[in-house]
Amino acid sequence: MEHVDTLEQAMADAPAVIDAASTPGELDRVEDQLLGKDSVVGHVRRSMGQIDPDHRPTVGTKLKEATSHIEQLVAIRRSALEAAEEQRRLKDEAIDVTLRSVELPRGSLHLIQQTIDEVVDIFIGLGYQVASGPEAELGWYNFDALNHPPTHPSRSETDTMYLDWDPQNGDEVLLRTHTSPVQARWMEQHEAPVYIVVPGRAYRKDTIDATHLPVFHQIEGLAVDTNIVFSDLKGTLLHFAREFFGSQTEVRLRPHFFPFTEPSAELDVSCFACHGGEPGCRVCGGAGWLELLGCGMVDPNVLEAVGYDPDEVTGFAFGMGPERLAMVRHGVASMRHFIDNDLRFLRQF
Amino acid sequence: MKISLRWLQEFIDLPTTDPAELKRVLDMIGHTVEGIESLDIGWSDVYVGRVESVEPHPDADRIRVCRVDSGEGPKQIICGAWNFEEGAYVSVARPGAVLPGDFEIGRRTIRGVESNGMICSEKELGLGETHKGILVLDGEPNIGSKFDDLVELPDVVLDLEITPNRPDAMSIMGVARDLAAFFEVELQVPEIEVSTVPGTTPIAVTVADEEGCLRFTAREITGVTIGESPLRVRHRLTKVGVRPISNVVDATNYVMFELGQPLHAFDADEIVGDRLIVKRAASGEEITTLDDVERALDETDLIIYDDNGPTSMAGTMGGARSEVSEKTTRVLMEAASWDPVTIMQMSRRHGLLSEASARFERGVDPNIADIANQRASAMVAALAGGEILDGAVDVVARSVEPSIIELNSQDVERILGPGFTPGYIREILERLRMSVAGDDPMTVTVPTFRPDVTRPADLVEEVARIHGFDQFGSTLPTGPSGGLTAAQRRSRTLLHTLTGAGLSQAINLPFVNPDDLDALGRSPSSSALLTVRNPLREEESKLRPTLLPGLLNSVRFNLSHGLTDVGLFEIGKVFSAEPDPHDPRLPAQSDRLAWAVTGGVGLRGLEGAATAADGRIAFAVWHLIEDALGLDDGRLEQSTVPGLHPGRTAEALLDGKVIGYVGELSPGVGRAFDLPGRVAVGELELDPLLSPIPPTVFRPPSVYPPADFDLSFLVPYSVTAREVLDATVDVAGELVESARVFDEFKGPGVDEGFRALAITYRLRASDRTLTNEEVAPIRERMIGAADSLGAKLRGV
Repeated sequence: MEHVDTLEQAMADAPAVIDAASTPGELDRVEDQLLGKDSVVGHVRRSMGQIDPDHRPTVGTKLKEATSHIEQLVAIRRSALEAAEEQRRLKDEAIDVTLRSVELPRGSLHLIQQTIDEVVDIFIGLGYQVASGPEAELGWYNFDALNHPPTHPSRSETDTMYLDWDPQNGDEVLLRTHTSPVQARWMEQHEAPVYIVVPGRAYRKDTIDATHLPVFHQIEGLAVDTNIVFSDLKGTLLHFAREFFGSQTEVRLRPHFFPFTEPSAELDVSCFACHGGEPGCRVCGGAGWLELLGCGMVDPNVLEAVGYDPDEVTGFAFGMGPERLAMVRHGVASMRHFIDNDLRFLRQF
Repeated sequence: MKISLRWLQEFIDLPTTDPAELKRVLDMIGHTVEGIESLDIGWSDVYVGRVESVEPHPDADRIRVCRVDSGEGPKQIICGAWNFEEGAYVSVARPGAVLPGDFEIGRRTIRGVESNGMICSEKELGLGETHKGILVLDGEPNIGSKFDDLVELPDVVLDLEITPNRPDAMSIMGVARDLAAFFEVELQVPEIEVSTVPGTTPIAVTVADEEGCLRFTAREITGVTIGESPLRVRHRLTKVGVRPISNVVDATNYVMFELGQPLHAFDADEIVGDRLIVKRAASGEEITTLDDVERALDETDLIIYDDNGPTSMAGTMGGARSEVSEKTTRVLMEAASWDPVTIMQMSRRHGLLSEASARFERGVDPNIADIANQRASAMVAALAGGEILDGAVDVVARSVEPSIIELNSQDVERILGPGFTPGYIREILERLRMSVAGDDPMTVTVPTFRPDVTRPADLVEEVARIHGFDQFGSTLPTGPSGGLTAAQRRSRTLLHTLTGAGLSQAINLPFVNPDDLDALGRSPSSSALLTVRNPLREEESKLRPTLLPGLLNSVRFNLSHGLTDVGLFEIGKVFSAEPDPHDPRLPAQSDRLAWAVTGGVGLRGLEGAATAADGRIAFAVWHLIEDALGLDDGRLEQSTVPGLHPGRTAEALLDGKVIGYVGELSPGVGRAFDLPGRVAVGELELDPLLSPIPPTVFRPPSVYPPADFDLSFLVPYSVTAREVLDATVDVAGELVESARVFDEFKGPGVDEGFRALAITYRLRASDRTLTNEEVAPIRERMIGAADSLGAKLRGV
């Protein structure tokens, strides 16, 4: 039974030798040393033929046991060494995650575009469509159809830019002073019900300063249907204000005057920053309310001008300035930023 | 319009005087409060006193010893002013009083004589700057009463935004009337007592322009003495932002603020020929107005003439010639009603936006003219002495009658919703001083001070306003389904694609500087540019025919602020002085997309972007757009475009139609715009890009292996890569999965006039594995197709 003892001894010696191997290469050599043809185990394997047949099964069993035991130890050691090696490699490959070593640069939509898209999406959720119209517009659509009397001051040469262009119908062509003419154009082309928002540019003879641009944007809204009442205007704008400024927002309507709505109102929203009355609030200055937009019930003269019957349908309209919305919400200090196209501004949003 | 709360309270017994609550109410009834100014008392312990005696000071010539009773019996006070005598009522700062500037008044001895306090001047009280001497009070105020009451302090001044449809609210009376309706309290209309003497003014008035003048009233006050107004009048005017001038002028302003009727006081002796004629000016005439400005008149100006020519501008500003002066003894008080549009146009053209014009251009009620005239004349008589002649002028050129409107409660409920009963509507309208007859429909008579109310819709607004906008609920209409159109959705895709590629969106003003067009080599004839007839500034007179100059200027703006990699795009309208194809009444206007990119582009490593912008980036943007929008029929064709690099420019075609250009800015234009590097640009018509496209038809990805091979051709410069690719792909038919140029080489080893293009092809069948036997003849056909273009297979 000398062989059995030899194998047992080999099994007992193996762990120390295997653990001593510190690289996969060394382990290969150790494995050969323990199981190769010159090893103790190899020696027994080769001499199996010369073993007394009575002992052969016992030695054979031991040989298998020793071989598989050593193989198992080697495999365990190998995976440990490989794991350690991988760990080392991963450690070497470490990247400073705070270093932007590669970038996929992305551009920005203009803040005004983002604001318009957001407002438009809110109204699309309420079933509105998006309409547009010409910026060089007939006086009829800009003023007359919207119940501006011929003597209305906003028609004056000091307020409105008129174009060198003869429309050949006795009218004048101007750069539209609001997006409201699209109201009239749309109603001329479509039967009620009408639910539209109209984002676009408007032009007024203003000098560029922190709060004025000669060309700015407006989002007009119009709803005309068989049973629109004043509370629908209020509810619609409340929904808008809560979507845009946050669910705690409250609104209030104050009577005002616009030629194309009656009653007319201005909409204030509660301050989204201080929720009403933090003295010296950076957004509302402590007033608690922010003046946001003009609105009202569509004047019957407007409905008549486009061929609707004011006894059949009623409606409301509103107009807001995306520049104002953006300035209020993001604290943009001057309108000039909107036309500088400074990437340091554009990329902030 | 500024309004003093104390003054307002003379017209209405307000249930609250809390400024915040008043602001809330005024906001709610449509007179938005834009500012609240609290006027506090600047002193303590100042009382009304009476000077009982005045003695010289024993040791000083310039000061006097007075005994003044300010409610504690006569006390000795030393005073250096000489503008008063025994019996004068004065303001007395008792010992212990504190005057503005923390000036404490004590008991002290002046040259051996004790002084128990101080007799104050207006300046010492912080009420005025210019006054000489001490303040002598008018009338016989209560001795020992607090001086504060005489100047109505403390007070609150509210700054109201009066909407242009409300002439009536441009007055204390009008605001009080609305508040009375809201609070349901009585309006206290001041009583006007005019005592007249027999006599008629010799001045005759003719209204020769009935369109411009609705009514002209005039009243003569003789024997007036021009002087300063009493403290209270001056102080009230100062509070609302009007500078006191003299008793007569102050009376006109005072009544204007009270009743909303602007007035003008003439020096009757300066009216030449004893007559006034109202008519339009003749062009070439001139007038010097009260502000000493000489103004050229034209035939739209409405002028009051005397025999010497223009003497006053109707409703805007009086003339210097007939102005009330210190010498005036006869005053002709004018209260007229003018055509709002005439006044509006006149005041704007002459830059004369006055308190008077602000009221007249809203439309002052002609029926208040004579009441206001009486009130102002009575005030002149009270403040400046004199007698009012009972024979007054009153020319009514056009009379204004109350509007009578028939209103159904249903009209109200259709707009405001349910809950507006005829009784409730009537109650609100009556609170607004309208008279209502009948039940439903009701007949409403609207007072002439409300010219804005002429239709049922206007009454609906009034009902809503007094009911309170805050009383309405919030509901949502059940609208039909909406949503973005296909083109609008594609526009969003386009925007997000471009930002995803690293470009940022610019928005420029849609004007163009013709010099910039010149620099681009595109100066259209001046008639082709759409022009603003009345620009505010020259820079805002020409509408852009292209987006490019704006973008190039924006790129320069960024470079000049230290940025190096700049990629911008813009979507906006361009204009030209041609009829618009969609509406020939209008000039042509269409939406375009343009981009301009300079510096590094794309993936950025630590050392910067791998690629620098040039014409190829412009083409890449085009291909990105094609890909993102699924444009199958897009194409670039080598071309030349003014302002662009002649060898690096393409026309962009969609469905065979040119929709714009793409390429690299020419170096000369770059220099003109101060752009040192290469600039990739493009400009496309937007609408064709956004036209809806048919849905893409699915092709199953093949499960069979591909056959890949490369071919390298020697291609003459006259043949484009596109032509080689198209020709070789065409002959291979459906089997070509992809074909891509992977190398382009010019130089040694390649003949002059040629370049080497290496193309990698991948063929794949959907139903079988391609064999060499099948591929070989295809490959030969491809080589043949290239050869027929003049592109020889290279190096085989």
